[in-house]
Amino acid sequence: MARILVFMFVLLTALPVQAECYADYKAKQDNPLRLAYGVAQVSDGNCDPGSASSELGPRLAAAGWELLSVMSTFGPEGLAERQSSAADHFLRY
Amino acid sequence: MPQTISSATDSLRAGNRVVAFGIAAIVLILLAAAVFLFVNLPDANAFNAKVTQIFVDNDLRTNAELRLLEILAQSGTSFSEVLQSYRVVIFVLLVFATALLLAALVFLVTIIALNRRISAIQRSGIQVASLLISREGRAVYINDMEFALTEAALETLSVLAEARMDDEVLTGAQIESVISGRNEVDCDEAAGATRVKRLRDTLGNQLVSELLVKTIARRGYMLAVGKDVIRMV
Repeated sequence: MARILVFMFVLLTALPVQAECYADYKAKQDNPLRLAYGVAQVSDGNCDPGSASSELGPRLAAAGWELLSVMSTFGPEGLAERQSSAADHFLRY
Repeated sequence: MPQTISSATDSLRAGNRVVAFGIAAIVLILLAAAVFLFVNLPDANAFNAKVTQIFVDNDLRTNAELRLLEILAQSGTSFSEVLQSYRVVIFVLLVFATALLLAALVFLVTIIALNRRISAIQRSGIQVASLLISREGRAVYINDMEFALTEAALETLSVLAEARMDDEVLTGAQIESVISGRNEVDCDEAAGATRVKRLRDTLGNQLVSELLVKTIARRGYMLAVGKDVIRMV
């Protein structure tokens, strides 16, 4: 019984670690102004808007984009509804 | 007379100081205004920043919406050229304002100086602007006012006027000598003094001794008018 409980505990705590995490963000370029809405994968440990933005910021900056805000983080189930809006920026960076 | 001159130069110096301070103040104020205006003019990026703000604050994510926002931002950026021309216009207007204020200040100071001079002139009393001795009419015209004179008084006045034109001060004896034609050493000082007294009496004594026929202590008599105002016909 105790072993089953330990197993379930391990299973529960391990679940989020295995889940993939994605974030949708808004970014811009200056001169001329270009705006973008995109979706990017973030590491599972950064699966909240605050830490996701600190991870995404440098990644986008390397590609010449300035991160404005991370709107939300979500799992793979949220990808489909955002694909059409993100278009070119869907999982690009 | 020297007192008046020194006070005139004093006021001139004070006026120059006022002008210098005024010009400095005007230039300083307008310079500050110019800097303030230029600093406060929005730069071209202000519009882009606003569009970005709208983008962040609202749930805009489709491609069409984003392109629309970008077009909005571009139309705002084209306004930056207009801002540039505004800057030039403001600069030109400020330069005009400076010039006008400087001119106004200079005119103001000029008016003040003129007012001071006029009041000084008024204080100095009756100014003899013209002294016309008419031998035929046996009269003297002071500032176009006619005063009838006796032959003797006219003679004395003429002698004094001629002496004034040569910047000379005549003693009583000299006056008597010129009029009577005798040698100066033979002439009595008192005789000349009497002639001067009669002239003053004819014209109005005290006022005349102050304004016209002045006694200069231990030297003699002199007309207290400018050389250039004396004319004889």
